[in-house]
Amino acid sequence: MVVRYHEHRDWVPGHGADDGCLARCDGVSGGGGRRRAGLVTSSLRLARNTTVEACQALLEIEPLLVSESADLTTVVRRAARQPATRLIGVTDDDGLLVGVIPVTRAAECIVGRVAPEALLVDVADDASAVHFSHTVSDRTAADVMLLPATIVPSATIGEAFRVMHRLRLGGLYIVDQAGRPSGYLDLLELAVVYVRALEEAGQAASGDDAPPEAGHAGAVSGHTAPEVSGQPEAPPASDPGA
Amino acid sequence: MTVTVAAVVFLLTYAVIASDRVDKTLTALAGGLAMILLQVIDQHEGLAAVDFNVIFLLAGMMIMASILRRTGFFQWLAIRASKVADGQPFRLLIVLSLLSAGLSAVLDNVTTVVLLAPVTLSIASILGISPIPFLVSEILASNIGGTATLIGDPPNILIGSASGLSFDAFLVNMGPAAVVVLLVFLATVRPLFRSGLSVAPEAREAVLALDENEVIADRRLLRVSLLVIGATLLGFLVHGALGYEPATVALAGATVLLLLSRLEVESVLREIEWPTLFFFIGLFILVEGVVHAGIIDAVASRLFDLTGGDATVTTIGLLWLSGIASGIVDNIPYTATMIPIVQDLGRAGLPIEPLWWSLALGACLGGNATIIGASANVVVANLAGRSGHPITFRAFLPYGLLVVAESLVIATGYLVLRYLL
Repeated sequence: MVVRYHEHRDWVPGHGADDGCLARCDGVSGGGGRRRAGLVTSSLRLARNTTVEACQALLEIEPLLVSESADLTTVVRRAARQPATRLIGVTDDDGLLVGVIPVTRAAECIVGRVAPEALLVDVADDASAVHFSHTVSDRTAADVMLLPATIVPSATIGEAFRVMHRLRLGGLYIVDQAGRPSGYLDLLELAVVYVRALEEAGQAASGDDAPPEAGHAGAVSGHTAPEVSGQPEAPPASDPGA
Repeated sequence: MTVTVAAVVFLLTYAVIASDRVDKTLTALAGGLAMILLQVIDQHEGLAAVDFNVIFLLAGMMIMASILRRTGFFQWLAIRASKVADGQPFRLLIVLSLLSAGLSAVLDNVTTVVLLAPVTLSIASILGISPIPFLVSEILASNIGGTATLIGDPPNILIGSASGLSFDAFLVNMGPAAVVVLLVFLATVRPLFRSGLSVAPEAREAVLALDENEVIADRRLLRVSLLVIGATLLGFLVHGALGYEPATVALAGATVLLLLSRLEVESVLREIEWPTLFFFIGLFILVEGVVHAGIIDAVASRLFDLTGGDATVTTIGLLWLSGIASGIVDNIPYTATMIPIVQDLGRAGLPIEPLWWSLALGACLGGNATIIGASANVVVANLAGRSGHPITFRAFLPYGLLVVAESLVIATGYLVLRYLL
């Protein structure tokens, strides 16, 4: 199943439709609580509408591409040199993305060739037996790859998460209109944006009226890993690097 | 009118089950319910017809098998079998066939193949050869092994409950026949599976390098499971003397194992094969409909007339009829239908015990004839198909027919020599 999102969203941090909501909320007289609630909602909505393009390089995780005919030992060696990339892209001779391989799956296939009993313990039914058979017999990237799951740069990270969640993947390849990979979005990059949004929402809820757009825009436009801890007023947040 | 309605509902249900186009559990339940709703029997008679001795015996064994599965025991067995066979495919086929037959006698053949077939598939993939010869021989051996005991094959469970014959009566009367059939099967297995059983030296080395200790997931649970299942089997041997039904023994074993396993009860109960249990429930109500309508009496009377009331002709005729019919339709509904007929023949004055053994041998061994003849066959065929190694009806037929022919000839000799001379 090829999942591609071509729907274009013209949202730009600080200039989107949500700003209107924020302005309206600001205009409510005598409603400090409601205004704060509006700020919280806006902050979270802004985070969801961040584009893939804006957050794809937050953690500087590079795409990792291999050819269909690549031997799995080569695939794992290359993955070991680039451990931050959790999803390997498989391309054909024309450079089009034809599949993806979760790093864990590639590693599992190598384990299956050396110590199959480590995986035999999970064989309990036909599905697990079939999975085991593939694990010990698959040799190339084409044998083991899943169908490509991709997203376009203009899609929102909310959409990207839905694809990752449905396909149980830790990342997605960003492709151009022709289907050639142009970047990689890791689940952690997406989570970092949400962590920042939660912190801003926490600040807004506690009465600190710092404009959420500023912090948020900083997170998504700076293309550097945002600091997600060390702010005394922020509620406890999980460390995205964990 | 009632007779016509009952016959139509019964034949229609049978036809749909045989066609395999609708889920057989759903079909059996719908057929049973139709007997009630069309007033062939009233609801109290229908529900009273459900043999809870069969249901709880099956449920108890399923619970114990489900817990044993979690220990890695079957993976351990498969690796040990590979090593005993020295990684040689043909020897492995023989060892797995023996395992399949032995386990079927003490668990039941459906549970055995459900647990053994996936690991067989895995071992074959490590060896880099087709799993089909192994799976086919496991099917055939499991049906033969299951013939030996009361709990080994669903037809025997049905017969045991209806006849009141004990576990040890089955073992003593069916066991010898099953052993002889198994030995003859093993002697003929080499020409059957000669082709396609060679492996590359490195694949053989890979199998021999497997560490069976790695696959034991829970050693304590394994010890406890084997202990309780062993005690349950002892319980089956003495259930008649103690005055307990096999279902009581199986439920006691399951309860004790659940208690000692410390597993979450709900997660274990979720693994019970509920469709199988409801299939039986539907069948019991369905067959009660045809019994109540008088159809079974009429068929039994006709059979009695046909054989002239001769014990030998009736017993051997029943064996071959059962053997052939079980190859065409699932042997469970067949047996459920034949049980009241055998009871009627017994009431008509024929010695009933040889008839029970005849029905059991025919139904269990006849299930080997086709890929749809017994539940174990269907289970393995589905698994093989899903794993990309389909066992087609036509591909299985030569093996099945040959094994059933030799089985029925042996069973005929056994019945004549032991009961009819």
